[in-house]
Amino acid sequence: MMELSDKDLIERCLAGNSDCFRHLVLRYEKPLFAYLMRRLKDRQLATDAAQESLIRAYLGLSDLKKPEAFHSWLIGIGARVALEFYRAHKRQLGISGEIEEISSEKAQKFEEYQLDEMIAELPENQRQMILLRYYECYSCLQIAEALNVPVGTVTKTISRAYDSLRQKLQAEGFVFLEAQS
Amino acid sequence: MNCNECKENLVAHLEGALDETTALSCRNHIESCKECSETLRKYKSLQGELGKLGPITADVSLVDSVMNRIKYLEFQKEAREPERSTFMSKLLKLRWTMGLGAFAGIIGLILMVILPGANTMVAAEEAFARATKAVGQLEGINIKGRLRTSAHDNFSAIALDSDFVDIELWKEFSPKLRWKVEKPGRVAAMNGNSTILFIRPDYAYKIDGPTQSAFDTQWLHQIANVTESLNDELRAIKKHGWKSSVSQDNAGHTIVTVEARSGYSSDDYLKNSFFCTADTRRVYIFDDQTGLLVAAKIYLEDGKQPELLFELTQISYNPKFAANTFEIELPDDVNWNQDDFVLPDNSKYEALSSEQAARAFFAACAQENWDEASKFTTVTASLKTYLAGIKVISTGEHFTSAISLISGAQFVPYEIKLKNGEVKKHNLALKRHPQTKRWFVDGGI
Repeated sequence: MMELSDKDLIERCLAGNSDCFRHLVLRYEKPLFAYLMRRLKDRQLATDAAQESLIRAYLGLSDLKKPEAFHSWLIGIGARVALEFYRAHKRQLGISGEIEEISSEKAQKFEEYQLDEMIAELPENQRQMILLRYYECYSCLQIAEALNVPVGTVTKTISRAYDSLRQKLQAEGFVFLEAQS
Repeated sequence: MNCNECKENLVAHLEGALDETTALSCRNHIESCKECSETLRKYKSLQGELGKLGPITADVSLVDSVMNRIKYLEFQKEAREPERSTFMSKLLKLRWTMGLGAFAGIIGLILMVILPGANTMVAAEEAFARATKAVGQLEGINIKGRLRTSAHDNFSAIALDSDFVDIELWKEFSPKLRWKVEKPGRVAAMNGNSTILFIRPDYAYKIDGPTQSAFDTQWLHQIANVTESLNDELRAIKKHGWKSSVSQDNAGHTIVTVEARSGYSSDDYLKNSFFCTADTRRVYIFDDQTGLLVAAKIYLEDGKQPELLFELTQISYNPKFAANTFEIELPDDVNWNQDDFVLPDNSKYEALSSEQAARAFFAACAQENWDEASKFTTVTASLKTYLAGIKVISTGEHFTSAISLISGAQFVPYEIKLKNGEVKKHNLALKRHPQTKRWFVDGGI
């Protein structure tokens, strides 16, 4: 893989090359936004919350113990920012109750944002391909070209990612996938 | 094809990435195998969910705004870092005991030490010796200058297409901090108890309590607080690697030049619009005999020929101030700023986005519904005259600047046609009021 890993980029940021953070923003702005959009259900708020989350991530980079878990850590920051934004703008969102209450309904109603969290926890190679396939809307062939690997490697890696996601969803008690046909 | 082989190929099959023969073999196996058929169904279902992820994020692009903010934060952080106890910081502390002129001399010394150049140490030592004889504690200062700005705009707005306007600062450091800044069209004063801005002819804004500076006058106060500001300059030179130089002219002056950078990126809307967002060359001129600052010039440096923005034309140390110097005489019919009242239906306005607020404000002006317009700004007679019966041509999507991180301001592009037929295209600056949570117009009219 030609691209620098998250760990490499973070190490460079911490060494004083803050411009390397640009690549991390490019890599994760869409999954982060999608996650916040689903939680906040308001495009402008989700944009503001995504910016705030990325800034906080940058400022807290030195606290990140496992740089390879950056995506998952960023989604965690996003979750906290979403909660703050949700409370601050509850009236604007036109929703009563707390954001945690919504997430507690997961067993009854599949909440897509949990899929974002599960993607963030995938191993880096699987996550990278899922992000390219579904956020950047690349075909498997385009992913293969972008990463300079055979198409078979892309489909097999995505296959492993599917298995992993499927197992995580089942472990969470979701019946949604099973009921679809 | 067996189950393992089929499973390996399932994603490729779903993606249409298999050759015809393998695809056919895969399909045949799936039709005859319940387990693989079930796995395929789950994969399809998962694909359906994952497929929802892309479309909502298609136009998301946060890179520039995030990186601008990061650069700005880095810049601010470095500028605020405490001085280390170095030879330089020890010298800087001497300014308090030796006074303004001494510090001017020290500035020369330090810059010459930092910068390479022949005989700089000798020159610096001479400057230092002269400076030690200079004035002691400063009690007050009066600065006159001329500024390249629009007469009706705020105290720090840069307008290269405008003529110079006069600007003056009166500042008392001791026994009590008081100040006043005036230019045509507006005056701001802090009388020791409160701070008032008066925009002629009919609008006033009051801050209860004393302030060090307010209403966009900080850059001028920095010149008045010359010892502190040069201290800041020195730190910035060190931290950011700003270019700087020291030279002497034939008239007995030491000239310190600092190439200051705002930290705003070139694509930031506010870059070079105000003193605090501009890249500038600041030239301080000290009299070698007295060690005092006698002149200063600030140039805009935007990659083209440097343009003079501000020139200090007169500076008086420890002047006698008249008793009413720090007071403002207000007309009886002045409109006091009113942006902090909570409306009966405040929640309706809280729920608006900045774009919605901008549209609502302009719509109210178009209909001359001043009650409604007053929910977004203080409506004065001059505002009514200017915006009554406008025609709104368009309003755009909001955007932010590096300054938004601190002020929370958002900018909404607009195009309106005034009653006199003139078309105005600009960006309305809006901020959420900390108490009322409503958007209010903060500039750009």
